[in-house]
Amino acid sequence: MNFDKLLRKVEKPARYTGGETNMVRKNPEDVSVRMGFAFPDTYEIGMSYMGLQILYNILNKNEQIYCERIFAPAPDMEALMTENDVKLFTLETKTPVDELDIIGFTLQYEMSYTNILNMLMLGGIPYKREEREESLNNGKEYPLVIAGGPCACNPEPLADFIDVFLIGDGEELLENICLLYDRSSSRKEFLEEAVKIDGVYVPGFYEPSYNEDGTLAEVKKTFEGAPDVIKRAVVEDLESVEFPVENIVPFIDTVHDRAVIETFRGCTRGCRFCQAGMIYRPVRERREETIFELAMKQLDNTGHEELSLLSLSTSDYSRFEPMAIKLMGLCRERNVALSLPSLRLDSFSFNVLNEIQGYRKSGLTFAPEAGTQRLRDVINKNITENDIYSAVEQAVELGWEHIKLYFMIGLPTETFEDLDGIAEIAGKIMDINYNIRGRKGGRFRVTVSVSNFVPKPHTPFQWEPQNTREEFIEKHDYLASKLRIKGVTFNYHETDTSNLEAVLARGDRRVGKVIEEAYNLGCRFDAWTEHFNPQLWQKAFENTGIYESFYSHRKRSIDELLPWDNINMFVSRDFLESERAKASEGVTTEDCRQGCCGCGVNKYTECFVNCDTD
Amino acid sequence: MKYIIRFRKTGTICYTSHLDIMKVFKRAFKRTGIRLAYSQGFNPHPKMGFAQPLSLGYEGLEEYIEFETAELNPDAGRMREVLMEPLSSIMPEGLELTGICEGSWLKKTLAAETEYAKYQARIPMGDAAFDPEELVKKYMLQDEILTYKKQKKKPEPVLVNIKPKIRHLSAAKDGENMILAMELDQGSESNLSPELVITTFLEIIDRGTERSDIDVTRSKIGFAKNIDKNFQFR
Repeated sequence: MNFDKLLRKVEKPARYTGGETNMVRKNPEDVSVRMGFAFPDTYEIGMSYMGLQILYNILNKNEQIYCERIFAPAPDMEALMTENDVKLFTLETKTPVDELDIIGFTLQYEMSYTNILNMLMLGGIPYKREEREESLNNGKEYPLVIAGGPCACNPEPLADFIDVFLIGDGEELLENICLLYDRSSSRKEFLEEAVKIDGVYVPGFYEPSYNEDGTLAEVKKTFEGAPDVIKRAVVEDLESVEFPVENIVPFIDTVHDRAVIETFRGCTRGCRFCQAGMIYRPVRERREETIFELAMKQLDNTGHEELSLLSLSTSDYSRFEPMAIKLMGLCRERNVALSLPSLRLDSFSFNVLNEIQGYRKSGLTFAPEAGTQRLRDVINKNITENDIYSAVEQAVELGWEHIKLYFMIGLPTETFEDLDGIAEIAGKIMDINYNIRGRKGGRFRVTVSVSNFVPKPHTPFQWEPQNTREEFIEKHDYLASKLRIKGVTFNYHETDTSNLEAVLARGDRRVGKVIEEAYNLGCRFDAWTEHFNPQLWQKAFENTGIYESFYSHRKRSIDELLPWDNINMFVSRDFLESERAKASEGVTTEDCRQGCCGCGVNKYTECFVNCDTD
Repeated sequence: MKYIIRFRKTGTICYTSHLDIMKVFKRAFKRTGIRLAYSQGFNPHPKMGFAQPLSLGYEGLEEYIEFETAELNPDAGRMREVLMEPLSSIMPEGLELTGICEGSWLKKTLAAETEYAKYQARIPMGDAAFDPEELVKKYMLQDEILTYKKQKKKPEPVLVNIKPKIRHLSAAKDGENMILAMELDQGSESNLSPELVITTFLEIIDRGTERSDIDVTRSKIGFAKNIDKNFQFR
């Protein structure tokens, strides 16, 4: 097959060519394990994901392993590949993916699940785990299909498709799995050995059964050696694992095209809706000197013109101020733009932002998440209206002209008063600007972006019902009418997407049937508004007899066995329950930097490694 | 100081666009620590540019990029070692730097001096016999070669006669392929895309050849007043 012929016909052919600066070249004959790191979305999205660069770097530093990249082809390329019998291939060597030893999918968002099935099929690999076990691919075993990433903390919806889930930090775990696979003489031997490692979940070793009301009754083990509870893998000290300095530099524009240094992992704030805030605990920092060194090396090796810091909350780094000042200087010397996402807006941050953005100011972002103090207390989001207003005042005085506000609707206990609060905040911000700049107020604008609350596993809200489609629509309409304020723009997320996300996030193993049916009906790229087809998904639910509302809109009882109960993300069940109770009373929990709030993580690992805690 | 680097673009990197190749060079300068001069104004950008954009998918055998350094100003004897070799060592596969030339004598940009370019299209003809010279004759004997061309600021493509912009056309047989050699107007004065010649020529051949089966190479860029006589690449 003439590869060039395909490339000449598709949009953005450089998505498929590889060959970028710092791509790793190895002779596949010289390694003993060939692993394909698969991102179930297009190249531009996948290449903006730092985890890919981290794991690619670690695996390829090992001489025994060759890690190559696989992305979902865009629909135009998929059509041509199918028409011309071209199998899904790796970018590095254009090897058909069914010739690899291991294919590892990263699960960053639930709406990418149908792409996983599609990528396997395009690679000539049956998407059903059992089918792969029972048949051979030209006399050879099919590649081992593994998956990891945040969504793996409830692996059940994908349990029919994936051989092994890796739960928790991947830096050490993934490499160990690749090497163990290489040492094992059979698939069976590998799986039985792998379950002894923390973070490994082999769905084939567990068999769920259900009660008459549809809830999970019990999970039986089919292999005695499999653990009852799967403990997540954790990197205790970020300094002990490699962070990439020779990042691949894409030829084409990607979502984020910049040098990136992860400053710390984990978050101490304890927002009750936030899954990342729970499953990445504890806070572990990278040392300041390491950050500078990595940043400079990465800039040297990539030629990037922008540097960004990665963490769940930039300003929570324990020595943030001196670190930011030093970095600003280093970037200025090199003509590199510094970008500091998710800053807490205190006076220091304003000085920093004023310095790095100069006269070209981007929008200032606040995420109050809820419109009233009552509801913010329920979700434990510790930002007050005064915090916002005084920050906006400073911002307006310093010349900012665009304020972005993020809210969530459908939160537990929410009433229409809370929605009124959203409009009030937007209106008051407009007033602040008028007060400072006079009646005309300049080009000042406020954008209110509203997302729909999706209850997630391993959070204090994991039992909560999600709003129905009708409830969300009513609230969107209500807000739209309240937010008819001059200078205010109102955006909201698509309702159908959020409802489906809730099913996939908290589904059990039976939800896999819906994913399979939706895929067979033609669903792909569900995270893309232009490709998402809610009617097809609706049909998939009908055809499989699975009720969407059972998973999304039902309040789960505290005694119910949850599909992810055998996954131990370190935050204790007691803590989640107590946080849930406090939420219902509107009682907040302090940031654990102020004192331990007993989430249970320190039973397994040390908190605040490398942090400067005075 | 101003310099010109000559380079080849071959292989799969041909599927990276003109603008993205510009970024590759920009980052390469950044990585080697060669500081470029920047334009003034609110949105300063480094002073560098290609002689001519090369269409997506085309090979280029003699492409040029000019740039102005801010602090390293090696003379002709040292420019290869100081500027080109460091860049060469980090260029992605398929971008090969073939020479460097001092450029302070340039009065305008290379882009402004570009007048024409030579292209070769390799057209698969299948196993039926064909006479390349006959086909070229038939093509060039048309009084006008009319085709639709998208024009800036106009929503509908406009019918244009491309014949006056074809400086030279010849064809030769290469096994089952025909090599169509074109010399076409290029630059700001008068410009003809080889795509228009290829599609109109395919109508003359009339064998249902798909555009995606054809390789195109640009082998030369021609400049006004033969300024390339002054090129002294090292």
